[in-house]
Amino acid sequence: MNRPSPRVVAALALVVAVALFVVAAIYWAEPARSLPSWFPGHKSGSSHHHVKHGLAAFIVGLAALVLAWFQSGPRARPT
Amino acid sequence: MISYWQAIVLGLLQGVSELFPVSSLGHSVILPHLLGWNIHQNDSFFLTFLVGTHFATALVLLGFFWRDWVRILRGLGRSLRDRGIGAEDFDAKLAWLLVVGTIPAGLLGLLLEHPLRHAFASARSASVFLFLNGLLLYGAERLRRRAPQPERGDPDRRIARRMSFREAAGVGTVQAIALVPGFSRSGASMGGGLLAGLSNEDAARFAFLLATPIIGAAAVLKLPELLGHQGAGVRGQTLVGAICSAVTAYLAVRFLMRFFETNRLTPFAIYCTLAGAACAIYFLS
Repeated sequence: MNRPSPRVVAALALVVAVALFVVAAIYWAEPARSLPSWFPGHKSGSSHHHVKHGLAAFIVGLAALVLAWFQSGPRARPT
Repeated sequence: MISYWQAIVLGLLQGVSELFPVSSLGHSVILPHLLGWNIHQNDSFFLTFLVGTHFATALVLLGFFWRDWVRILRGLGRSLRDRGIGAEDFDAKLAWLLVVGTIPAGLLGLLLEHPLRHAFASARSASVFLFLNGLLLYGAERLRRRAPQPERGDPDRRIARRMSFREAAGVGTVQAIALVPGFSRSGASMGGGLLAGLSNEDAARFAFLLATPIIGAAAVLKLPELLGHQGAGVRGQTLVGAICSAVTAYLAVRFLMRFFETNRLTPFAIYCTLAGAACAIYFLS
């Protein structure tokens, strides 16, 4: 099977990174009761902020951003 | 509450056991029980105390490997600037091995630390896991690909050449086993390094480099607790414990870097197995 081109991987990684940064911001800004019901940590009536969940999402987002950065670099491009 | 005498004993113990592959968390759960101290792993004052001692250990590690960290961070910067890792840029490769190893351990720590700490807080379970930690260390030595032998040249170059990113992620992931009191973080990462084909010396070096951001970040994340109301009444003891921990951590890392030039994990495996079994029998009887 052919590997996807670096450009496609970079674009996908960038989308994932942005999505995860948004998720992190939601975790930090909203209490557990206000999180979307499909988010891990959602709990009706709870005023707890899932700071660690947000941090985890942010770290993975950062990793995805770094992947996008490398995949869009000159070394990743076919010569 | 924790006394100054207890802070000194636990601080000295923390500095050694954090870097020796024998589980610092396990020892900090077992020892107070053995001595009949009214200190439990989930007491907020004890968690605050541990933040201080961990922070001190991380600072010692950072200081001990300071020149290496400067090189590694420069390599990281170079690779980001060039958007790739040069074929001969071993510092950049090592930097990304450490990043890749740190991410899974950090994520698992963030998500599982609290539930695991509450699930396995007893001295009994810590003793059983200490016993299993001994078997784990022994197993890693038995399953390793190559016999330990003194090596020449730059150890960071050897690590960067031998270890793949997949293996670094694996080593980082197995570190998370140390969230369970009784299992050793440094032991798991040294064992993982051995299975990845590193010598004992290089596996220990990689484990200590990997430990610095993990221990440091965990401590920094909880530092507000030490500085906030939870730290009231325990700050002095924490400072004393942190100083003791720093001294023994420095001596431990110096000793271990020389020890693993020619030695194996086996003595620590024997200690953990025997001590774990003895404590388990004592607490269960």
